[in-house]
Amino acid sequence: MGALEQLIQIGEKAAEPVRDRMIAELGDVNTLCATYRSRIYRYALLSLRDADQADSVTQDCLLRAYRARDEFRGDCSVATWLTRIATNLIRDATRSRKFQFWKTASAVEVGALADRLRSPGISPETSLVVREELAKVWDAVDKLPGKQRSVFLLRFVEEMELPEIAAAMGLHVGTVKSHLHRALTAVRKAKERTR
Amino acid sequence: MKTTHLSPWEQEECIIDRPTPQMLRHLNECAQCRGAVEGLERSTAIFRGAAMEWSVESLAARPRQLQVPGGARRPVTALRWAIAAALPLVLMVLVFLGLHPSPRPIRPVATIHTASDAGNTDDALLEQVDEQLSVAVPASMESLTHLVSTGSGSGPGADARGGKPIVQIN
Repeated sequence: MGALEQLIQIGEKAAEPVRDRMIAELGDVNTLCATYRSRIYRYALLSLRDADQADSVTQDCLLRAYRARDEFRGDCSVATWLTRIATNLIRDATRSRKFQFWKTASAVEVGALADRLRSPGISPETSLVVREELAKVWDAVDKLPGKQRSVFLLRFVEEMELPEIAAAMGLHVGTVKSHLHRALTAVRKAKERTR
Repeated sequence: MKTTHLSPWEQEECIIDRPTPQMLRHLNECAQCRGAVEGLERSTAIFRGAAMEWSVESLAARPRQLQVPGGARRPVTALRWAIAAALPLVLMVLVFLGLHPSPRPIRPVATIHTASDAGNTDDALLEQVDEQLSVAVPASMESLTHLVSTGSGSGPGADARGGKPIVQIN
């Protein structure tokens, strides 16, 4: 047995307890729901901007993960695995929504969100600037293509590392960076447009 | 000191991934580039804050429905699809019923006689008339053919001009 194979075996043995812990986490649906529901819901809500669909995607995601827990290999974190399932469900929901001509997406009160972000010591002028900036960024992110938006959300809302995003999206790290650059360019241009 | 500023790509790289030591050194010395990078960071931070706020508020309004793993809740979208699929069928049935309100028997309004039919009828009628005319005594006068003679010659019942007897009907 070569040195490399021995190292691989040692690594696999070290990873076994982690994997077992992850599978145990997946085995309890209440723990799964309590730990990851808000995170998956947030990702789905920001991707779809529809609370009903986000709720449906979240539940489908958690149920699928629970039912397929034996297939989880443990080569990534549970959060990354769930994000991957959610990404696929969001993509399906986005496709099906194209045919739901009767359903209009509920508008988000960006101004109200900006007001809640206001800290007590902030001046009205600064508050106005924050509100305008949020509206521009919000609109720019809304107009991003699907993959760019997903990558942007995972990086800047969920604060995932690039390799995690790559694993969750099934992309190369370089592709993830490329999507992020394009998304940030769109955000920058949106900010400069009406300045 | 690096005289050229960071390109937009380099500025974005600072918040996407870890900046290189050269980038960091330039940012420490260049207020303009530092301001641009901080502006991008602020934008993403504002977005993140609003996104968190919205998500927490939206999730709080929703009940936790994932309780029983065996009984998966049917997604709302499936119901919407079912309604959308059923609607055209219902409309088609309604339109069909509107065009055909009830299955009534078809009655002819009028019989159309063709010229040949009229000719046949006329011929039959003429034949019937001919038959009637060809009979020596019409049916209505057939009883007159059976007469009984009550006398002859110059009797009291004889006609004064022709000498024919007066007849009596049986």
